Amino acid sequence: MSEFFGIDMTYIMIALVAILFVALATIGYVFLRNRVMFQVGVRNIPRRRAQTILIVIGLMLSTLIISTALSIGDTVDYSLTSSTFNELQSVDQIVSTRTDAGVPSTDDDDDSLDEAENDAFSAFDSISSPLPMSRAQADDFVSQFRDVDNVDGAMALMRGAVAVQNVTRGQTEPFAVVVGLPDDITGFETDVQTLTGESISPADIAPGELLASESAADELAIEVGDQLTLFANGAPADFTVKAIVHDRFVTGSVFGTTFGFAMPVASASELLGRADEADFIVVSNTGGVRDGLVHTEQVTNDINTILAGTPWSAQETKQTLVELSSESASFFTTFFVVLGLFSISAGMLLIFLIFVMLAAERKVEMGMMRAVGTKRSHLVQMFMSEGMIYNLTAAAIGCALGILVSIVMVQLMARLFSEFGLQITFHVTAQSLIISYSIGVVLTFLTVVFSSWQIGNLNIVSAIRDVADPTRRKDPPRGSGFGFIVRYITWVLFKPESWGQFFRTILLIPAGIAVGAIGFGLFMAATSVYDSGTAGGALGVLLGVFGGFAIAGGVALVLIGLSSIVQWGPLMLVVGPILMAFGLDANGAFLFGAGFSMTIIGAALLLDFLGAPPRPVFTAMGLAMLVFWLLFAGGNTPSETINNLDGDIEMFFLSGVTMVIAGTFVLVYNADLLLGLVTLSGGLFSSLVPSIKTAVAYPLAAKFRTGMTIAMISLVMFALVMFSTMNSNFDRIFLSDDALAGYDVLVSEIPSNPVDDVAATLRDAPPPTSGDADTPSGDELADTIVNDDRVLQANGAVSKFTQLNIEEPDANSYPIQGMSDGFIENNLLTFQTRMEGLETDADVRAALAANPDYAIIDAFAVGGDFGGMGVVEGIEPTDRTMAPVPIEILDSATGKTREVQIIGVTSTVASGLFTGLYVSEDAFLDTYVSADSSLHYLQLVEGADANETAKGIESTLLSRGVQADSLRQQVDDYQAQSRGFLYLIQGFMGIGLFVGIAAVGVIAFRTVVERRQQIGMLRAIGYTRRAIAISFVMESSFTALLGIGSGIALGLLLANQLVTTDDFVAGGVTSFYIPWLQILAIGGFAFVASLVMTIIPSRQASSIPIAEALRYE
Amino acid sequence: MTQPAAAPQAATDGVRPSNEKVKDLIIDARDVVKTYRTDDVVVEALKGVSFSVERGEMVAIMGPSGCGKTTLLNCLSGLDNIDGGVIYINQEDINKLSDDKRTEFRAQQMGFVFQFYNLLPVLNSIENVELPLLVSGTKQGAARKKAEAALDLVGLRDWSKHKPAQLSGGQRQRVTIARALVNQPAIVWGDEPTGDLDTTNADAIMDLIGQLNREHQQTFVIVTHAPDVAQRCHRIIHMKDGEIVREEAGQGVRAQAVRA
Repeated sequence: MSEFFGIDMTYIMIALVAILFVALATIGYVFLRNRVMFQVGVRNIPRRRAQTILIVIGLMLSTLIISTALSIGDTVDYSLTSSTFNELQSVDQIVSTRTDAGVPSTDDDDDSLDEAENDAFSAFDSISSPLPMSRAQADDFVSQFRDVDNVDGAMALMRGAVAVQNVTRGQTEPFAVVVGLPDDITGFETDVQTLTGESISPADIAPGELLASESAADELAIEVGDQLTLFANGAPADFTVKAIVHDRFVTGSVFGTTFGFAMPVASASELLGRADEADFIVVSNTGGVRDGLVHTEQVTNDINTILAGTPWSAQETKQTLVELSSESASFFTTFFVVLGLFSISAGMLLIFLIFVMLAAERKVEMGMMRAVGTKRSHLVQMFMSEGMIYNLTAAAIGCALGILVSIVMVQLMARLFSEFGLQITFHVTAQSLIISYSIGVVLTFLTVVFSSWQIGNLNIVSAIRDVADPTRRKDPPRGSGFGFIVRYITWVLFKPESWGQFFRTILLIPAGIAVGAIGFGLFMAATSVYDSGTAGGALGVLLGVFGGFAIAGGVALVLIGLSSIVQWGPLMLVVGPILMAFGLDANGAFLFGAGFSMTIIGAALLLDFLGAPPRPVFTAMGLAMLVFWLLFAGGNTPSETINNLDGDIEMFFLSGVTMVIAGTFVLVYNADLLLGLVTLSGGLFSSLVPSIKTAVAYPLAAKFRTGMTIAMISLVMFALVMFSTMNSNFDRIFLSDDALAGYDVLVSEIPSNPVDDVAATLRDAPPPTSGDADTPSGDELADTIVNDDRVLQANGAVSKFTQLNIEEPDANSYPIQGMSDGFIENNLLTFQTRMEGLETDADVRAALAANPDYAIIDAFAVGGDFGGMGVVEGIEPTDRTMAPVPIEILDSATGKTREVQIIGVTSTVASGLFTGLYVSEDAFLDTYVSADSSLHYLQLVEGADANETAKGIESTLLSRGVQADSLRQQVDDYQAQSRGFLYLIQGFMGIGLFVGIAAVGVIAFRTVVERRQQIGMLRAIGYTRRAIAISFVMESSFTALLGIGSGIALGLLLANQLVTTDDFVAGGVTSFYIPWLQILAIGGFAFVASLVMTIIPSRQASSIPIAEALRYE
Repeated sequence: MTQPAAAPQAATDGVRPSNEKVKDLIIDARDVVKTYRTDDVVVEALKGVSFSVERGEMVAIMGPSGCGKTTLLNCLSGLDNIDGGVIYINQEDINKLSDDKRTEFRAQQMGFVFQFYNLLPVLNSIENVELPLLVSGTKQGAARKKAEAALDLVGLRDWSKHKPAQLSGGQRQRVTIARALVNQPAIVWGDEPTGDLDTTNADAIMDLIGQLNREHQQTFVIVTHAPDVAQRCHRIIHMKDGEIVREEAGQGVRAQAVRA
């Protein structure tokens, strides 16, 4: 994988290693300059082994998640790239019909990947070329190409589609690709090789013989010497298999999805009925399979110079596909990292909690150290030293476990993707491991530094006496009159108690601005050097990272300065509305949402400062934030302006985090109400009442740590529940009958062997030779067909459209389909947007039937928040009516165009199977030279078995190369694969649950130490060992259940808001589905795991000797 | 369980109340040995201590730090195991009881008052006080009533909803005493009950303990460093190096009912 979040991985690695070095250097400095503190810190590690293990587990989780994500990225990159190299082998460039052959070029220097992808895939999209060369032309080009510098081979290929029957084994396949090879394959010898590595020259293949590719051999159980019958244009031709060869482009294989056969060009010409033609010229560069890539640009340019003025051009096929592999890998990694963000955030919270608890445990000794002259910075150094040892160890373990997790995930992915002919092989690069390790160490280091700084700020006397720090609350001013009002306002707004203190703290603000400005300068310098080579790139990233740190540091100084002067509440009440205003101005949901939340929090803090009771204040704050975010996320606020603010995937994260924080506040300030309930239920088991009382009272008293633990568990549960609920609702939508648009079976024909009327062809067909007795006859099959509605398809490489009613329109490559009258009349497509005046779906069909210039398009073309392509502008997924959108469809091979009007957008449900721009057959045939292929949508008689019918059609029409599929089966298969992949992602997100579970464990261990004396007292007054153990287990259960319950409730609430909106699908889902089984399984696992984590500490607690515990201080 | 033979008189140079007759021993310990072993270090905390207390008596145990006072209290109350000897509490050999039985026995027969109060900081006064009752299986409602009465007894009824952190040291110790008395135990053990209090509060607490002893005939065994606290008991046991070295009479006045 070469890029991550759009930045070169090498640069990221260099920058992270540099920061890692800074972190290590900091600890090195402590070691050299203040060894005592280093030793004190490090010697704390073996004091409590179980706790140390738990801390390491807690710290490693973030690294594990990142390492898993990067390893998966590497695997995808490696697998796709390997697949590209394997299948293209010697082929570096492919010369085929230009995708803009018929269009005057207006954008010659556009070398964007999208354009390149279209070109690169044109050879795959179409089996044969829409504008084949004459053999003489091809031979002339080949001889010229061979003279181009750095070219070691060129040859012209003919390709065509056939149906195949293995007569020897009784196996059939309706669709395969035949390649005609020239006698001279110089430069491509390794592309035509048997599985044992022997090269075969086409000249050695006798007439009537062919080479079968490995995937074809697997599919049809082919062995050397088998007799095959190939059907092209309906006519059979017999062949003998001379050898089985590797899957390569030149042997007809396209990424394992097609079954290839190779034969001399003379045999192919005769079979396909195409004399003296060539579809493609493949070109091999010097330097082998991988290294030849370096010549791609030069060779492509030289060849295109030769081809100037012709309808053909050379495409950088291998180069583009390799880049695409890397881009796909980057997408996967980013996807996994973004989904892992909740877990990573929870992991950061855990690290902070761990260090806060370590500090609490050592409060007395730290107080003593401060009393005997240890400086605050020394305590920070001590904690940093200890933290870094945990950190370096945990990151290494996290990396290693991340690899193990990714190996398991890759195994599962391999099974899922094998359906698409993609072989997934686990692979991880040293670069990814270094990056994962460095990110893990750096993230933990920053959290540790922050926690240590917080910890160092202790009150010495309170620490020694092990009591809470005194609150430094200023008394409100007293008096009356104007002076009192001024003093009161000053008291409410500002913190400093003297002018001296005020001026000292206010200096932090200009200092912060200066540091921020330096950071900005570094950042700008970084952007200017980033693109100037590897060294410049690395320097750019380094400068960027340090610039980023400086900016963050500057902002932090300003905030510290401001917060030291101004009370948090009023400060947030000022900053919040400013952010909201910016959000409204920039139409950004993130800023507005953050500003609104900040305002609510500010109001609560102000009320708390003024002495309002905390429970109602923070409960109201939490509820207000929850209500706002639920309405905001679902676009249901009373203001349309707010509902229409733009947000992306970051809103998922922001809404999740904010809602969890809000929910946690409501819980921790009100959980004592549960105490009564719990005690009441405990009345049924009176012996449990004392255990329940202490189990509930302790977490409620420690609001910070309980809140943190609840938030950690809740955050991950929230993400999992949201994800699984939304996917389940998606699943149900796409599995509904609306997805099928009233059709049962899809029959695809091959262009060289068209079928005009499926029923008539079935009646005329001879009975299948390999069919068993149960196979229905052609007549029986034909009788089950009620409607056979044809849809023509344009060649994917040349079908484009341009939207006319927008500024600067682009020609978009898009599937364009020609609807027969039957299809227009009989389809039951549902529409999310209709032209004004068309009230029902039937009205749309009537309009299409009445006007051949009308068209419809799928929902993905109009964008949306869930992966739409958004190629048509001006229609929003939420629009229910639309003005007609004029567009021009284009055959880019011939340059022929025709204007049509889009009058409807199909629903998301129907768009899965019916993707593309659907125009009338009249408009289609007027624009495209010929249909690339035809699809037949069949409606069957009531009760007919679509699967059996599809199978029967396929076997009966084998000689026509027809493929038939049950649409219901297609939808089910697709959803099953999609579901499998989503479960995999849920599993990955579930790793985050271990963060919450580890938090429960850390707290439980800490609690045993902290409450040793109290445990002694409880045992003294009559608590049995069992009662103590039960109390501990219940305490953890209480916290875990609150977190699990809160995560589930918030996840379901937000999912409900989202899936019932128009953004999800047109009109939203009508019945919100809750996948209770999945949710209970996830929640149950989290709960049981939390209990398991408590077993050891609760046993420890119950076995504490009473007298010893009472002595403990 | 059999009633032990009359306890041998411990070596003493002190004088028991002159007109008393030993007939109702609530604590009877004989030759109690307790040894602590930590790695290679062996500490003989109690070297064959014999000791008895009558029902309703208020006994102070004094001695320098490390002499074994708290260890003796822990062993007598069943908080710690002994390595030799026997201890009868209310005629029960507590070292022959299983851990659970001993815990149950403690809950029913004993109350504890510690130097640092050892209240649960997360529970308020009344919840702390009712805890021993709930442990003994008393219903919530009944436990609450008894706890209120106990708090009333120590003068803290109005502070029942306050958490320990909201109370003064003296008030906390009163809550501890209320907790110790709430299930009307036969014995209340006090380990430096006034150790964390100023003189005024210490006097008040000892007044309260004396009053409770007189009015409720509860037995108190108090470990203390403070001579004035010890003097308010009926009898003072002096310990040194794990042994009882002498006994003396205190100035406390025993309740008539017990004396009879």
